[in-house]
Amino acid sequence: MRTIELLRLGLSRLGHSRLRTALTMLGIIIGVASVVALVSVGQGATSGITSRLQGLGTNLLTVNPGATRTGFTRGAAGSANTLTVDDANAIAALPGVAGVEPEIDSSQLVIAGTSNETAPIIGTSAAYASVRDYTIWLGSFLTPADVTNHLRVAVLGATTASNLGLGQGSIGTTISVGGLPFQVVGIFQPKGTSGAVSADDEVVIPITTMQDHFDNAQSVRTIGVSVASAGQIELVKADIQVTLEGRHGIAPGGVDDFSISDQSQLLQTVGSVTGLLSILLAGIASISLLVGGIGIMNIMLVSVRERTREIGIRKAIGAKAGDIMAQFLIEALAISLIGGLVGIAIGVAATAVIGLIAGWGFVFNPLTVLVAVVFSLAVGVIFGVWPARQAARLDPILALRYE
Amino acid sequence: MSAPLIELDGVRRVYDTGRVQVAALDRIDLQVASGDFLAVVGPSGSGKSTLMHILGCLDRPTTGRYRLGGVDIADFDDDGLAEVRSRTIGFVFQDYSLLPGTSALENVAAPLLYQGVPRKERLARATAVLERLGLGDRLDHEPTELSGGQQQRVGIARALVTNPALILADEPTGNLDSASGAEVIQLMQGLNRSGRTIIMITHDAEVAQGATRQVHLRDGRIVA
Repeated sequence: MRTIELLRLGLSRLGHSRLRTALTMLGIIIGVASVVALVSVGQGATSGITSRLQGLGTNLLTVNPGATRTGFTRGAAGSANTLTVDDANAIAALPGVAGVEPEIDSSQLVIAGTSNETAPIIGTSAAYASVRDYTIWLGSFLTPADVTNHLRVAVLGATTASNLGLGQGSIGTTISVGGLPFQVVGIFQPKGTSGAVSADDEVVIPITTMQDHFDNAQSVRTIGVSVASAGQIELVKADIQVTLEGRHGIAPGGVDDFSISDQSQLLQTVGSVTGLLSILLAGIASISLLVGGIGIMNIMLVSVRERTREIGIRKAIGAKAGDIMAQFLIEALAISLIGGLVGIAIGVAATAVIGLIAGWGFVFNPLTVLVAVVFSLAVGVIFGVWPARQAARLDPILALRYE
Repeated sequence: MSAPLIELDGVRRVYDTGRVQVAALDRIDLQVASGDFLAVVGPSGSGKSTLMHILGCLDRPTTGRYRLGGVDIADFDDDGLAEVRSRTIGFVFQDYSLLPGTSALENVAAPLLYQGVPRKERLARATAVLERLGLGDRLDHEPTELSGGQQQRVGIARALVTNPALILADEPTGNLDSASGAEVIQLMQGLNRSGRTIIMITHDAEVAQGATRQVHLRDGRIVA
């Protein structure tokens, strides 16, 4: 019998019991929709987190001072004052380093007109914006000349600026930082929150000015290093280690008084966590698809039982086992395929809505859809074959007698 | 004289119930020539239905030989038997056995589906047969919308549509009132006169009078 005839026969039955067909399909629809939506959510979350991490700076290495040691007591990491501006200069001279920015922190009262707030003050170099991946909204960032000339200029984070009522037209105005007048030369674009600390609440001034007025120590809190290309990260990391060990008089293999971290470790960790999350979500969704498949099998078995006489009649008038098998299998496949397509539509819509709410946008992976289609067809075959075989193997005599 | 259409040679059909073996048919020898109208008569339990299942290639003899059109059906597997049913046999059932929820036209066209006849031709042939049997105005009616007599005529039309060598009718009048039953017998007599071979199974001696030849079954044997 030709395929088109088999299709017509298999599909004609679906219209006979619409409610039952629809309910059976619902199982598959929910299963496929949840697979598509949850896998996309997993991917969306992964790409959202990854892009946020990359927003912290591209090819960024962070050098932090190590822990203080008093006898046998080890202090918190970063508590030592071992890193200096000279260390930063030495790192800047290494090959493959695109930019270096040492940072000294302070916290000062900032006053602009009638507004005031106590803001984090960061003394740094002209490379800060590029290393930390900040974009200037208004004005410009610190120049190397600002740093060498100890100028009292400041660039404000987006949050700080809006807190102080500064915006368009504020470039060139004077604010008070820790009681001293500073000229506003630039305002950053908002960058978003990383962790608990807002990257947008800060006042950036030249490191030399910082040392002059607020913190005359030579030690720095951290040194950010941007590497020219991702492939050089490991090399630069090793160079920095050797250089700093040499400068600090530490024997190779000894206990360093600093630590170097890069984002690849962080990205790797986050990647494995979100990967696990995706697998978990897909697993949960697959269970609902499995339940939907069992629903198909259940209904098909009932249908075979109900239509035993029909099968007997068809066999008597010349249907071969394969014809009967095909008729029922096509029915199961049609239910699962139509259910799968509707499920994909719903799943994609759900993905768009979730992406909008969660803020990572619409992440759509055609592969997910392909997998979902294949999966739903597989469900149809796997859970349709057995009932169809039952139908095909019925003894025509018994089937004809069946009431 | 050419070979008979049907030749049963020492056919036995034994049902193994586990503890005892029951012979539903015992050493049946029977020949039916092309163009015969044979009535197989017997009370219930005489083996009529078993004989019909074997004649209709729905079942196989336990021992003995059944030749249909000169070919031993033992040579066929299940799909082969389906092919034989499709090409050479038209069934008429006591309860009509029409496909529920399916129009008279689609019911009659159904056997052609399994012969691989294209849809257009199927419908044309089914329409022609139904019109010949006076059901030309009932093509779109489903079985539940037809009287018993009409349903049985649809059943006969379905048996005829493949133009089979043999019509096998199992108690074709069993569910009908006497007037409709008489009509069905007349219809089959007409078919027989136009050359069709018919085997009718019945327990009703009066209905059997309609046939041109009778065999009587009792306890799985031919007694007359």
